[in-house]
Amino acid sequence: MTTTNDTATTARYVPEQPARMQWAQLAPEVYKAMVRLDTAARQGLDRTLYELVKIRASQINHCAFCIDMHSKDALAGGESVERIVQLGAWDESRHFYTEKELAALELTEAVTVLTDGFVPDEVYEKAAKHFDEAELAQLISAIAVINAWNRFGVTFRMAPGHHEPGRHK
Amino acid sequence: MTAPRTGLLDQAVGRAMSALSAAAKKGLGDPALAELVVIRASQLNHCAFCLDMHLAIAREHGVPQRQLDLLAAWEEAEGVYDERERAALALTEAVTVLTDGFVPDAVYEQAAKYFDNARLAHLVALIAAINNWNRVMVARRIPPGGHTS
Repeated sequence: MTTTNDTATTARYVPEQPARMQWAQLAPEVYKAMVRLDTAARQGLDRTLYELVKIRASQINHCAFCIDMHSKDALAGGESVERIVQLGAWDESRHFYTEKELAALELTEAVTVLTDGFVPDEVYEKAAKHFDEAELAQLISAIAVINAWNRFGVTFRMAPGHHEPGRHK
Repeated sequence: MTAPRTGLLDQAVGRAMSALSAAAKKGLGDPALAELVVIRASQLNHCAFCLDMHLAIAREHGVPQRQLDLLAAWEEAEGVYDERERAALALTEAVTVLTDGFVPDAVYEQAAKYFDNARLAHLVALIAAINNWNRVMVARRIPPGGHTS
């Protein structure tokens, strides 16, 4: 008898695509600046919240490498499977999140999808109700930074599946 | 009139963003092309502050006014941009509009024809860096005109 599990383990998956290039080795000063920026931007932000923000931005930007890394990091940090799984539909599964997290997720989407036009007042104001000014400035910076990482991950087609939580802290 | 937004940007964040942009521009080694890339991304992201600043810088670098005027329609502007510039602009658009899905092989390979790996890495870094600035400026609705060069 074939179970779902057997199918999954015997399925012939397509081969992993290699990365387009090892950009960090070719641009070490850029990589160093990105790491510095990441460290600076997350100061003062709640780690649980920031992982949710990073996963959601990475989903919207289709960064497979980043989804792999941040989902695993979130799980390792004690996040629930449920809250990670529901992130792609957070607007319909609001009862998994706090009002503050929802305001941050809404801001994440608005700041990530800039090409559709601006960051609406109601989105900004809701975030401003839940975050004090300094924290809000950090949240905006942090959303911008994960967007930058997403661009490296996607453009150079960095392969997902190899991240071990605990690295890249 | 809507409520003002925060003007705060953490100093360490600002310094790291500047370092990122500087490293990217240095590695690309083409200040005029860098401005075309940065302006095009800022158009796509609707960043008024960034457009105002980088149009001024582009003029200082001697980027032809015609290249600036037609940038939003560069694909249709035959004879205004060379193949290398067009490859960089196509990559800028693909890397900026990630929400529509990925960076196509054709776009990446065209860029790789005109930029060696090290320059390509820095070009992508420059696109990521200006996207970062665009987000920080648009989200806080920083008005244009603050730039002095």
